[in-house]
Amino acid sequence: MDKKRAAFLSIFLFIAVNVVSLSNAIEGYYGHEDERVYAAVTVALVSTILATAAFFIWKKAEYKK
Amino acid sequence: MTDDKKQTHHEDDKDMIKLIDNLNRKDDVHLNRRAFLKASFGATVAIGLATTPFGIFTFLRDENGEVKRVEITDIDDLAIGESRNFNYPTKNEPAILVRTPEDKFVAYNNKCTHLQCPVFYEHKENVLLCPCHKGYFNVDSGQPMAGPPQRELPKILLEIKDGKVYAVGREVRHG
Ligand code: FES
Repeated sequence: MDKKRAAFLSIFLFIAVNVVSLSNAIEGYYGHEDERVYAAVTVALVSTILATAAFFIWKKAEYKK
Repeated sequence: MTDDKKQTHHEDDKDMIKLIDNLNRKDDVHLNRRAFLKASFGATVAIGLATTPFGIFTFLRDENGEVKRVEITDIDDLAIGESRNFNYPTKNEPAILVRTPEDKFVAYNNKCTHLQCPVFYEHKENVLLCPCHKGYFNVDSGQPMAGPPQRELPKILLEIKDGKVYAVGREVRHG
């Protein structure tokens, strides 16, 4: 699988990770489970950064002519 | 005249061809795919960043809500099988302290997790009972046993020292 395709597909993986993290953050927040909130926020931010990297990798490959 | 007509027809056809030409399917699919990925990426970022307020609020809540130590009662004031109401961690959060038949102290916020009615200790059956819709909670764990409630009662952590019972913390979710 080439880099472009991997980057493309990974974005959908990251969106899934972020959805799960968001639900964990909300549940943790209302359940006063601070650890869970911090863990979810960390995971979400890391996955967002990775998604951004993947997006630019894909963009570079997609638009190069 | 016929020539004229033919001419216009011809022009029309040309236009039509141009229109069809424009519908370059391959290009279209390609562009949609790009737009789709961009939208997905946007959603990823939006959802990812949406978690941060929860982190920030949790942090702020931590800051000003440092664990409070509150005296509830003297051990001798509460006989075995009795219960006592108090408020913890704030004045607006009612709680119940129970001295169980096994002579253990347990405490929970006693707002029913169904629709917030006050929960009482039923000595005879040794359960916490919500009279509103007959919700039952286990007195040893705070977990719902019967009736509409689905979530456990927030558990108040206790410390017993020098013949007094203190509330020292709270777990909203617990085993
Ligand atoms: S409010 Fe307690 S059972 Fe409905």
